Amino acid sequence: MTATTAASRRARPTAHRPADAGGPTLPRVVAAQWTALTSLRSSWWAAALTVVVSGVLTHLSAQASSVDPGFDPLGSLTSGVVLSQVPPLVLGVLVGTGDFSTGAFRTTYVAVPRRWPVLVAQTVATAAFALLTAVAAVAAAVLALLPSARSRDIALDLGRDGTPQTLVGMTLLLTAIALLGLAIGALVRRSVPALTAAVLLVLVLPVVLLLATDLSTDPLAPATGGVPPAVAVVNTVVAFLPSGAGALLTADVVVEGAPDLGPWGGGLVLAAWIALPLAAAALRLRTRDVV
Amino acid sequence: MIEVAALTKRYGPTTAVDGLTFTARAGAVTGFLGPNGAGKSTTMRVVVGLERPTSGTATVDGRRYADLPAPLRTVGVMLDARSVHPGRTAFRHLTALARTHGIGRARVDEVIGMTGLESVAGRRAGTFSLGMGQRLGIAAALLGDPGTLVLDEPVNGLDPDGVLWVRRLVRDLAAEGRAVLLSSHLMHELALCADRVVVIGRGRLLADAPVAELAADGSLEDAYLRLTPGAVEYQGRAVGEAGTTAVGGAR
Repeated sequence: MTATTAASRRARPTAHRPADAGGPTLPRVVAAQWTALTSLRSSWWAAALTVVVSGVLTHLSAQASSVDPGFDPLGSLTSGVVLSQVPPLVLGVLVGTGDFSTGAFRTTYVAVPRRWPVLVAQTVATAAFALLTAVAAVAAAVLALLPSARSRDIALDLGRDGTPQTLVGMTLLLTAIALLGLAIGALVRRSVPALTAAVLLVLVLPVVLLLATDLSTDPLAPATGGVPPAVAVVNTVVAFLPSGAGALLTADVVVEGAPDLGPWGGGLVLAAWIALPLAAAALRLRTRDVV
Repeated sequence: MIEVAALTKRYGPTTAVDGLTFTARAGAVTGFLGPNGAGKSTTMRVVVGLERPTSGTATVDGRRYADLPAPLRTVGVMLDARSVHPGRTAFRHLTALARTHGIGRARVDEVIGMTGLESVAGRRAGTFSLGMGQRLGIAAALLGDPGTLVLDEPVNGLDPDGVLWVRRLVRDLAAEGRAVLLSSHLMHELALCADRVVVIGRGRLLADAPVAELAADGSLEDAYLRLTPGAVEYQGRAVGEAGTTAVGGAR
């Protein structure tokens, strides 16, 4: 049988080769995780959806505003960014949970018994894939502005004050959201609870909090000039949630009652949201059995 | 070579492996036998570093698995056919695994050929039958051309042709000087391919002897049934026995 002759023709396993040659170095594990990520259809679906959602929503928003007298196409640039975060978030969660929700973790951690390089490699691979996706999605958003800009004979000036920061911020935000998904997925390990937690944290919680303050403040109360304390508290909390911190990346927004973190501060808050669950996941990998 | 010494693994109040000691030598196939729940799979998971022993040691070529510089090149592991992401093709699964150790495309193609998976290598693993999953698991174990193999129920789900193939494969691997630790419930299968048999029950060693010695008066199956009655945790009953209060040891 061909199988057995092929096996027997191979060199004696331990005699001729130093056992140290060819172990799982970090670059190799990164290469392996890149293969793993790009070999799943779900990754490509997530990438395609990110680009499509970004382009279509931006286009629709620009079309709707193009009839306004003072229409500024670049004003619609970020209109698709909230919903186009969903596919990268899902992508990250699926990378984080993929090994444990399927049993593939046995293969993964038998090959890399030190374990933590896997988590580092997943972070690098996800960041690279999400960054490429984000660049395409932001490009789609810019292209989606062109028809409505042309309809009003307005030239797009991407070098205009604030626009470069918005473009870079949108790209970093979409990448960071994928890493946030990865961190939650790696910590929770099961896909459905991880997806639920990620969507609640990123999309639902900020909306609920803002709605709650809207309802609790009396619109007929005489304006006292100051910001109501309840609003200030909620706005501060929201600024420290991933979505609020992420929004600071894309534009210099001033939220009343919230500390002005700026793009760098917002980026740091978002980075902490990624780093803390990742560190917890790494600790769990290091100290517990993988079963 | 695998050396397990005074290995104990507890999960809370449950003791899965209890002071187990045995060796799987180079150049031999060591059969690993025991009833369901005896601790075979737990022992194998500890050997390959997925779980840590509560006490005792498990080493491969004198090192703890986690300390091996190139694990795949030292130990080939097949624990469960469901150790693959169902959305990944067999080829990409093996490629990702190979890349962790800098193993090239040629070797991936080679193990696909050795396990007879050429025609399905481009199919997603989720569409595989149990037998094809086992072949993929064996392909992954052979990838690093290791000197030691740990195979948990490798013939489970294989067709007669596949069973014959695994039998010849493990014999050839041992003949090349490799250590093979192979668990199975199929007694006649182990009688045909193992040199030595380690029998455990309720986590404890019941026998560790050459096949010929164990099967000296009768078959290996007889020897196994003689050894394990007190160690069987999950026992069915004959149809006529339904409703009786048979307990362990009824054989």
